[in-house]
Amino acid sequence: MNFNSLLKKLMNKPASKDVAKQRLKFALLTDKLDVKKDMLKDLQKDLIEVISRYFEIDKESITIDIQRSEECSALVFNSPILSATHKRGAPAA
Amino acid sequence: MDGKIIVVTSGKGGVGKTTITASIGAALALQGKRVAVVDMDIGLRNLDVVMGLENRIVFNIVDIIQGRCKIKQAAIKDRRIDNLYLIPASQSDDKNAIKPENMVWLCGKLRKEFDITLLDCPAGIEQGFRNSIVAADEAVVVCTPEVSAVRDADRIIGLLYAQSITPKLIVNRIVPRMVENGDMLSHEDVVEVLSIDLLGLIEMDEYVVVSTNTGTPLVLQEDSKAGKALHRIALRLDGHPDLPIENPMIQKTFWKKLSSKFSRKN
Ligand SMILES: Nc1ncnc2c1ncn2[C@@H]1O[C@H](COP(=O)(O)OP(=O)(O)OP(=O)(O)O)[C@@H](O)[C@H]1O
Ligand SMILES: [Mg+2]
Repeated sequence: MNFNSLLKKLMNKPASKDVAKQRLKFALLTDKLDVKKDMLKDLQKDLIEVISRYFEIDKESITIDIQRSEECSALVFNSPILSATHKRGAPAA
Repeated sequence: MDGKIIVVTSGKGGVGKTTITASIGAALALQGKRVAVVDMDIGLRNLDVVMGLENRIVFNIVDIIQGRCKIKQAAIKDRRIDNLYLIPASQSDDKNAIKPENMVWLCGKLRKEFDITLLDCPAGIEQGFRNSIVAADEAVVVCTPEVSAVRDADRIIGLLYAQSITPKLIVNRIVPRMVENGDMLSHEDVVEVLSIDLLGLIEMDEYVVVSTNTGTPLVLQEDSKAGKALHRIALRLDGHPDLPIENPMIQKTFWKKLSSKFSRKN
């Protein structure tokens, strides 16, 4: 340990490598959520396809998201229905 | 028995892939293996100059793939080390000159000719990277103890897993003094963040620059710490996976030891 780092310690400044590690962990987390975003887009496309077989929905205003709290994460899918009647050709309930 | 194909990759550029490929190749050949090192950086070749073979290039990897020559004609024999061969990249073509299926074919041939083939992957995650990993049996991921390099390594590791390859990590350009002062991520930090097996630790070493200047193998420099570390990495890659990993440390004088003991008490 040299004089500078001793000084830093005495002034209670965090080691720069600890700052680096913290930033790194955060960056990796957001990177991974970013990848999940692509997956969500694919899921949204598939869901629209399936739901459209049964309902007429507003494809533009659909939202899909992962909501997380400390205890659990939820997949929240929100789709305004334009017409509640079965579309023609849809399988009977 | 068929040889194996090992890709050396990193994501981020300039972290030491080419240096490490040349050195591991040389060390493995000195250990008696028949080794090929392949420069996959089409359009921006470098492995030839690092190995001091730039004046001997006649054919290159694109020539092999497009049928203009045989592997034997393109592979350049090292000047000093027996059983070490370089297959250079093409300088005039672009990355799209090679397709993944070409690499599958080429690696199939190389497995028959060489015990170990090392692929020096270009930086990035585009075509050159895809070509380099498509037929690899094993992967070595290189990073430096910096936020950007580790982050890119994480991305690369994910892409390798998707290809069913479990990579091993080399941390390069470690400065022990900075690690000790808390101003550089330690290899423990890096391994913890990436949760990956470690293959070796290489410190910042002036011999790397000297040996690159002259195009002579780093692993032949008796006093080079990086050279020693690379010898041990080569052993770990081939038959001695449990060889202990040495932690780069500051060479301490008596007075330094005493003063660091003293300052730690504060
Ligand atoms: N352990 C080390 N000590 C000192 N210098 C090093 C060390 N490792 C690599 N270097 C230097 O770092 C620079 C980059 O190394 P190198 O060309 O091997 O990286 P690379 O990952 O192949 O780069 P690129 O992504 O551009 O292909 C070179 O100048 C090399 O000499
Ligand atoms: Mg390189």
